Amino acid sequence: MSIKISAQSSFELTGYWSPDFINFSLMNSFESNPSNYSNLKDWGLTLSYGGEFSSSATSNLYLISLSKKIGNNFVSLRYTPGYQKEFIFNNGQSIVLQDSTSQQLDSKFTYKELFGLGYSYRISNQFSAGFSFRYFTQDFNQEGVLPVFSDTLYLVRQSEDYKANFWRGDIGINYSPSEKISFSLSSINLININENSIDPNISQYNIRRVKNILLGFSANPIDSFNFNLLFETGNNLQIGLNEFLNAFGGNLGIGITAFHDNFQSPYFAGIIPAISYSNNLFGIVLSGVKYFSNRNIPQSFSLFQDQGISNIINNRYSFDKAILTLTFNINAIPEKTVEFQDVEILNEIYPTLTENYLDKPFAIGRVVNLTNHFVQIKPSSKIEGINNGKIESPVVSIPPKDTVKVPFYTIIPQSYDKQKAGISYVDFYLASANQELEDQAQKPILINGINSWDGKVINLRYFIKRDFDFSMDYAKNILSHYKSDLDTMSYALSIFYKTKFLFDNFVKNLVYTANPRAEADYVQFPHETLKLKGGNCDDLSVCFSSLLESVGIQTALVDYKPVNGIGHVNVLVNTQLSPEQAKLITQNDSKYFIRKNESGADEIWIPIETTTLTNFNTAWDLGAQKFNEDALNNLGIAKGSVAIVDIY
Amino acid sequence: MKNILLAIIISTGIVFGQSFHVDKVQGNVKVQVGTSENWSNVVENQTLNTNSIIETGKNSLIVLSGNKSKFTLKGSSALQLSDIKKMGVNDLILALAMEDMLNAPKKKEEANSKNTAVYGAQINGIKNPIVETDNFGIKKLNGAVQLAESGYKESAVVDAKNTYRKYPETKNLASFRIYFANILSDFGLNEEAYDEFKSIQSLNLSNDQKEIVKNKLEILASKLSQK
Repeated sequence: MSIKISAQSSFELTGYWSPDFINFSLMNSFESNPSNYSNLKDWGLTLSYGGEFSSSATSNLYLISLSKKIGNNFVSLRYTPGYQKEFIFNNGQSIVLQDSTSQQLDSKFTYKELFGLGYSYRISNQFSAGFSFRYFTQDFNQEGVLPVFSDTLYLVRQSEDYKANFWRGDIGINYSPSEKISFSLSSINLININENSIDPNISQYNIRRVKNILLGFSANPIDSFNFNLLFETGNNLQIGLNEFLNAFGGNLGIGITAFHDNFQSPYFAGIIPAISYSNNLFGIVLSGVKYFSNRNIPQSFSLFQDQGISNIINNRYSFDKAILTLTFNINAIPEKTVEFQDVEILNEIYPTLTENYLDKPFAIGRVVNLTNHFVQIKPSSKIEGINNGKIESPVVSIPPKDTVKVPFYTIIPQSYDKQKAGISYVDFYLASANQELEDQAQKPILINGINSWDGKVINLRYFIKRDFDFSMDYAKNILSHYKSDLDTMSYALSIFYKTKFLFDNFVKNLVYTANPRAEADYVQFPHETLKLKGGNCDDLSVCFSSLLESVGIQTALVDYKPVNGIGHVNVLVNTQLSPEQAKLITQNDSKYFIRKNESGADEIWIPIETTTLTNFNTAWDLGAQKFNEDALNNLGIAKGSVAIVDIY
Repeated sequence: MKNILLAIIISTGIVFGQSFHVDKVQGNVKVQVGTSENWSNVVENQTLNTNSIIETGKNSLIVLSGNKSKFTLKGSSALQLSDIKKMGVNDLILALAMEDMLNAPKKKEEANSKNTAVYGAQINGIKNPIVETDNFGIKKLNGAVQLAESGYKESAVVDAKNTYRKYPETKNLASFRIYFANILSDFGLNEEAYDEFKSIQSLNLSNDQKEIVKNKLEILASKLSQK
């Protein structure tokens, strides 16, 4: 008697599905997914129960398994009481009893896969690798006749038992270069460890453990359709087609797998139709195995002896089956719906430019929606050393499976007063609509000192505003000395003269420090300029503008863009005089220009060159000359080489 | 459209004469140099910088030479010498656009303290004193017309526009407005010309002027609709 039995390979009771969908079928599939990676989030429990339609229907608990994901590690244990096949053979001998009846002598071979252990590691988004160990038992029972010699010769029926249990170990790797394609490569019968020595009498009946290679390929040519091919170098193959659609708040799938077994006929020995439903909590698969050849017929031992079987649950002698598989996701860890792909710091932080970061993002995060539905997220950030709590940015809605750019805004408190620059860290958070943290990231960021400036003239306004309290006290103190003059002059001229009085006093003790404006710079606050008694054009313009603005006089900065690396800034003042009143302040119409205010009324503005630390009239003359030449005659305003930056 | 034009225009540059020689002076001709508040009489053979503005009295005249050309400014006129320059149409468009860019429609923040109650002179009752006009604006428009007649049409339009703003009473002078609006139209700046004629239409016009403006608007509207 000689039996050929191959070790169990890639056959699965639920058919062959894409590895991406394995989490709602068998989470512990050591058969077609030896690298054993699952999309499970935390704990998983799988139960497979089914019946076999032999001459009399029987039912079995095929499988129960427990899986756990820890970080990128995935561990699975399974108990498979239903993975067994029993053969009872008439060994051709019989005993004729005293009543002339005969008793047949049988041999019973029982093959079982009892349990298995799997481990895999997610190396990257593309790669995962793992191994599995499975424990098989083989029980061989042979009946025979033992003669017993006494007064009479007795023939005693005797049973001989042999065991040949073993461990089988395999390794595998999965590679998914894109969301559309996945490859797998794994061993069959790579490691075999016999638990006990094999009796020579039964060695020929052992499950044959021929080493082979298992190659898998899955593709999603369109989003809802999945094609799978599995090939064993022992000339077995499976082809699976799956179709999915979103339904009932989850995924509804239908699949069919056709399998070719080198030891069965016809060429495609059978099919495994399956229908599945899964959501975030559970999955259910109803599948069946339908063989194309008639299994409910007597079969001879000689055929068994010649060709054997190739698989414990799928062989020439297997019957049609129906299997219900339930999978439960037991998530102690909340399921992540979005995650950061990257965060880019757009700008270093200039603490004085407080409101600048309210409408201009300082960082952009690339965030991917991991789900099949729209997700609303609340981004927030916290800069170490600047923010006491999280600063929330606007809510962002992300389409299913989409990646979007999420802007992060922040607020710099007015109280921040560190003068030295330093590296800090910013924590970025993504929270769900119900405030549960989904993902977070950390990036280093440069925090400049409070006197640092990014070189954009429009941002000098923050230096102007920050010292308003000081500037107001300083300006009011000066103007109080001119109270009688201001009280007796025309109200329309009061702004012009306040400007003149403030400038003439402002420049009394100041010294201009030649320091051509650089792209990024150090800017003094007004109180520092007055305390230090000097500064460059930025410092002096900031200071004078702050003095005027603090007492309600509208100003603007003129940004003379750098030529050969040297730029310049001076100040425009709104006299609020109408064009008809120009001759009240000057007999030269080139010393002022007209701007419409927000109401559409024309007002006279005058340019003041703050670095001219002599007197108001000279500063006005020089300011007007430069403005006329660069901004107007050379069309600098229109060409962009000169810009008017309103302080408001 | 204007914005697009601004973006694609490559400036043709502006040719400035550095100074002018006074060839001839007849009658009362004065000059104001740079940002000076004072006027002085112009004499023959004097050299005048382009940052000067000259003003001629009634029946007066001045002949200037410079930049290989001569320029005559007749009586009752005023002209900034830097305006005697050749501009391209592209620069004219930029200059016209600049008029809007100079405006300050920004809202003033409430945070700015307004302490005019403390120092304000409303107390003395003179809130908005009006200065008597000396017709300097009309003189400048006269100068701009002569500038255009001498071939400096682009800078003449810019000069006129600036005059309208600095001397608002000149905005009501329909004949000047029509004259310079026609120059815009001649340059093919139909959109700008249409806006100008539309504004002129609201002035107190003679019957002839009404007819001229009406016809011009129809022609310009037709051209604009064909775009």
